[in-house]
Amino acid sequence: MKEIRKSYRNQAFETEVLKGIDLNIEEGEYVSIIGPSGAGKSTLMTLLGCLGAPTTGSYLLDDQEVAGMSDRSLSQVRNEKIGFVFQAFHLLPGVSAFDNVMMPLIYCEKPPKDAKDRVIKSLTRVGLAKRMDHAPGQMSGGEQQRTTIARALINRPKIIMADEPTGNLDSHNSAEIMKIFDELNEEGNTIILVTHDPEVANHGNRIIRMKDGLIDSDELV
Amino acid sequence: MRTLRNFLQALRGIGSNRVNAALMMLGIVVGIASLTVIVAVGEGVKNKVLKRIANLGFGPESFSVYSGAGRLFFKKAEDPQSMTLQDAEDIRALPTVSIVVPRQRKRLKAIYKKEFTDTRAYGVTPEWVIARDWEMEDGRFLNDSDLRRKRKVAVMGATPIRNIFGDKDPIGKMVRLDDIFFEVIGVLKEKGVTESGYDPDNRILVPLTTTMSRLLNQTHLHSIRVRTYVPETVPETMEAVTEILRRNHGLSSLASDDFRYVTPAGIMQWVTEQKQAMNRMLALISTVSLLVGGIVIMNIMLVSIRERIKEIGVRRCFGARRLDIAQQFLFEAVLISLAGGLLGSLLGFALSETSNQLDLLPATVTWEPFIAAFGLCALIGLIFGVQPARKASQLNPDETLRA
Repeated sequence: MKEIRKSYRNQAFETEVLKGIDLNIEEGEYVSIIGPSGAGKSTLMTLLGCLGAPTTGSYLLDDQEVAGMSDRSLSQVRNEKIGFVFQAFHLLPGVSAFDNVMMPLIYCEKPPKDAKDRVIKSLTRVGLAKRMDHAPGQMSGGEQQRTTIARALINRPKIIMADEPTGNLDSHNSAEIMKIFDELNEEGNTIILVTHDPEVANHGNRIIRMKDGLIDSDELV
Repeated sequence: MRTLRNFLQALRGIGSNRVNAALMMLGIVVGIASLTVIVAVGEGVKNKVLKRIANLGFGPESFSVYSGAGRLFFKKAEDPQSMTLQDAEDIRALPTVSIVVPRQRKRLKAIYKKEFTDTRAYGVTPEWVIARDWEMEDGRFLNDSDLRRKRKVAVMGATPIRNIFGDKDPIGKMVRLDDIFFEVIGVLKEKGVTESGYDPDNRILVPLTTTMSRLLNQTHLHSIRVRTYVPETVPETMEAVTEILRRNHGLSSLASDDFRYVTPAGIMQWVTEQKQAMNRMLALISTVSLLVGGIVIMNIMLVSIRERIKEIGVRRCFGARRLDIAQQFLFEAVLISLAGGLLGSLLGFALSETSNQLDLLPATVTWEPFIAAFGLCALIGLIFGVQPARKASQLNPDETLRA
């Protein structure tokens, strides 16, 4: 990621949120991005997650230039390479855990033949084998977040991006969720965490501190 | 395949937003239900009229010519007294004509002892019973001798018989029509009241000569029924009849006819015209109601997209393209519209049947409006789904999740 700038236009005002970010994340890293609100963490995450295009700059994901990609290609990149975990879970309401986890496979270029097995495996991986038929409303926060992790894992992405994954959870559930992330990293997954919580951030082996749209510090732990 | 998957997601989307889906359907349900009922009632009325035509006793080779300008049974102004037996004789001379029955008519009271009933007396010739293909229940029909001698004899329909004779055998009894006594010589077989309430059995037939000289004291005719040998010659026969009547009545080429035809084809055409007028109204009503239904779908869907913005965002995060989202919402709109159409059709069907059962309006349910309803609903869903689908697909994934 080089010289990334992102600005948002709000009628007459143009607000530059990211003011030139240079960042290189290697496969298998466990990165925490921290910083006060308004520092540009979420915007950076948006760009890393290919949810939006940078205003200027270049972003190579897996040696592929992402900046300037069409919606169609970006969607495919998101589908194949990135798994998202959100603070507010964002599970489809009224839909079973099984189908929620299945969802990303709908948008695959070629849906795998073993889709069902993969969903079961993925849910089992996060310890929800017995909760597959439950809708989000019938599950606890921790279970819901584990479902979203299963969903993020379903398409075997290169990167798992988590935006405040423990923000809506109590300490016990937070610990469980973080344990899953740690394990996933040990298995070789690249993990990028965005968080306020220093305790959560400390799970990472690299901590990037942001301030005013720039990287303030970048240290390996 | 991708489209099919989006279709399945649309089904799921409807399933998890049932209240909104139900609200969206409402307009369409009402629109299609009323459409179905109106079409069914239109068909019902048409069938009723057709049955009535059948009861008029017209074969395809018959027609009637009535005295007085106008159309079918709707006479303009008063009766011109221009149609005469001479007209009937001249028509009978036409080579295509097999039977001609000149008729006079009078509404009167039939009285037997202290019993009386309102009925219609027709002065006819003996061919009447053949022209109408009417069978006798008892006794005999009028014959040439009755006609020649201006006999005071009457053949009665089942209704006046029942009303004034009850169970008594009427043959040979004297019935009073106005102030004249007639001997009952025959009884017509009962045809039964039609659905529209027309009672073909409420009639008394007497010799034409008798009505002319005694009941009406007039020589002009009420109508002439003409039967041709084959149905194909009906149009040319009518032309010839027109010529005869215009000549006999001394009408100048500028004057309009002082007579009118009643034919099965004419009645059919009239019914068709009525139906067409109704269909135009129907088209207008259904267009308006379905447009309203479509607008309801569009608006609720636009609101529901606000509610489902997170769902859209998360789908986009996991690889849904703009097109996938657009397809899903378009499918939802079409499916909801179709479901509304189905429910509306069923509701309309139920209402039509109820209307029939309770004898409110005659309704005949046919399958065509159901097909039309489905086509229209699919179209409405498609048209009014475009805007919400477009709006949903234009949302940026990063902004949707932040909202």
